[in-house]
Amino acid sequence: MHHSHIDKFAQGRSVIHDLDARTKLLGVLAYTAVLISFSRYAVWELAPMAILPVGMLLLGAVPLGFALRRVAILSPFIAMVCLASPLYDHAPAVLALGPWRLATTAGWLTALDVFLKFLFGVLALTAMMCTTPFALLLEGMRRMRMPRVLILQLGFLYRYLFVLLDEAMRIRRGRDFRGGRQAPAVRRLAAVGGMVGSLFVRTLERSDRIHVAMCARGYRGEPHSLSHLHFHVADFVFLSGVAAYLAACRWAYPLLLKG
Amino acid sequence: MTGSLAMHMANELLSMPVAAATLAAAAGVLAVSGLRARRSLDLEKLPLMGVLGAFVFAAQMINFALPGGLSGHLGGGVLLAILLGPAAAILTIASILIVQCLIFQDGGLLALGCNIINIGVLPALLGWGLYRLVLGPVARAPAWRQYVATWAACTVGVAGGAALVPLEARLSNVLLIPLGDFLAVMVGVHLAIGFVEGAITFAVVAYLRRARPQCLGLEGLDESRNGRVSRRAVAVTLLATAGLLAGVVSWFASAHPDGLEYSYLEHKYAGAEKVVRDAEPGSAVAAVTQWQERTAPLPDYSVRPGEASGSDAAGQSGEAQAEADGAWPNVDGWGSLAGLLGTVVTLGLLYGLSRILGRRRPVADQP
Repeated sequence: MHHSHIDKFAQGRSVIHDLDARTKLLGVLAYTAVLISFSRYAVWELAPMAILPVGMLLLGAVPLGFALRRVAILSPFIAMVCLASPLYDHAPAVLALGPWRLATTAGWLTALDVFLKFLFGVLALTAMMCTTPFALLLEGMRRMRMPRVLILQLGFLYRYLFVLLDEAMRIRRGRDFRGGRQAPAVRRLAAVGGMVGSLFVRTLERSDRIHVAMCARGYRGEPHSLSHLHFHVADFVFLSGVAAYLAACRWAYPLLLKG
Repeated sequence: MTGSLAMHMANELLSMPVAAATLAAAAGVLAVSGLRARRSLDLEKLPLMGVLGAFVFAAQMINFALPGGLSGHLGGGVLLAILLGPAAAILTIASILIVQCLIFQDGGLLALGCNIINIGVLPALLGWGLYRLVLGPVARAPAWRQYVATWAACTVGVAGGAALVPLEARLSNVLLIPLGDFLAVMVGVHLAIGFVEGAITFAVVAYLRRARPQCLGLEGLDESRNGRVSRRAVAVTLLATAGLLAGVVSWFASAHPDGLEYSYLEHKYAGAEKVVRDAEPGSAVAAVTQWQERTAPLPDYSVRPGEASGSDAAGQSGEAQAEADGAWPNVDGWGSLAGLLGTVVTLGLLYGLSRILGRRRPVADQP
């Protein structure tokens, strides 16, 4: 397993990739805040909210199928919560589209609304992450005055994530090859304890070695980065465009719907 | 059974005031944890907590087959609290949650505060506190005591954190699922998850008792029965979990759980929000919600004409009634059709643009 599993689109080039990491982070944060501020029965009002995430994915050359697969993997919990809603809210409601009218209940409207918000929110986050290398995002967050220790910690997590995942997979493969599945439950549990425990001990020792190696290379609690972030004209255009778009979605469009 | 993933709070179940308040609270707790962790670690070693975060991801890959074709794995929060103390554990879990949110899109950006509190802060503090309470003097704790302490820490920590999810959703007023039902499901499921978590956590602790007793603050090896637990201890915890499960489910699922819940069910169609809000008039959240409603240009469709009828009658006459006045939600069908078509056309244009740009500037391989 390698970083390319999660990062394969982030290294490309496109108009969206070329934007500053801070621009995209601010844009997606504002988008998410506006998204959850819609009322729980707003179904059609949400339609234009699809434009920003899908647009970012399209212009960033990220396959829509990839993004939708992410949504599918993440959806079981939210789907369960959504499907519980029609059981409790039976107030009659109408879903109208052009000449068609569907009599339904407020519970179903809520379910649809929450699921759409979930879909758009995950797509927006996916669009941001698939067009921004994680290191640049961390650099952007550092420039936005997030605590330096936290940023460094996230950097270490990302750097060693796949190193340790590989190690865990090797341990697991070893157990499976030794026929660990046939053992009685207590033995299997003890085996899992030994596997996780030894992984923990190895990780502690590894982090000590990393620290010593970093100190030997002149680390004094400050990260050194070669990455440069600059706001360009495109960033201002993007941010003002997003602001105008969000204002239109949140205030102008619902007024239009209400007539 | 993915204990760590199942209860990630989503943006969509939260309102802005609740999201902002929990984000602020989480930031405060993280700052305090950072200060406390600095007492035991050098400032420059603190970022290496991130490597331990990667360890938790890796440990979650190691599965344990359960009866019935299910597979359990470690969540890891309470284990970290036991091994590192609550402050370092909270920092580590927070970094895990941020990476899960950003890279794996699990749990929303604005729900991060809720997730750090539900999965990090509460299980770590509650679990660690219970563990130390049950364990007594650490240095020469017997194995059964360590087992019971681990079980209590995991069960209560995991279920306690999960119980916050319905509360936060309720305060946000997004879903109309009754609080009692939602609580019963979440707490019930997570009691079972907590039991598995406790079993695996103890297996790890038992290994560390033998291999690295200093990780647990023990004074070296004692006798050969290290890490062995009597069947009686296991049976007692199993029975206690089953009892808790039955108790929680029957208590929450009973017909008239308590006053607030009952009145809420009674007035389900007559302004559910109002009942809940009136029950706690002085609370800050209610004030913030009211402020939000006053300032929001389009508050919730809280007044619905023709909905005051009784529950059963509404179900039967609902369709006809809704057809007749078509009053709620007050949306013009043509407007929404136009909006939908507009969205589709815009996306089509963006698609065309992306094709043109893509041809001019292909996605290059990593330089």
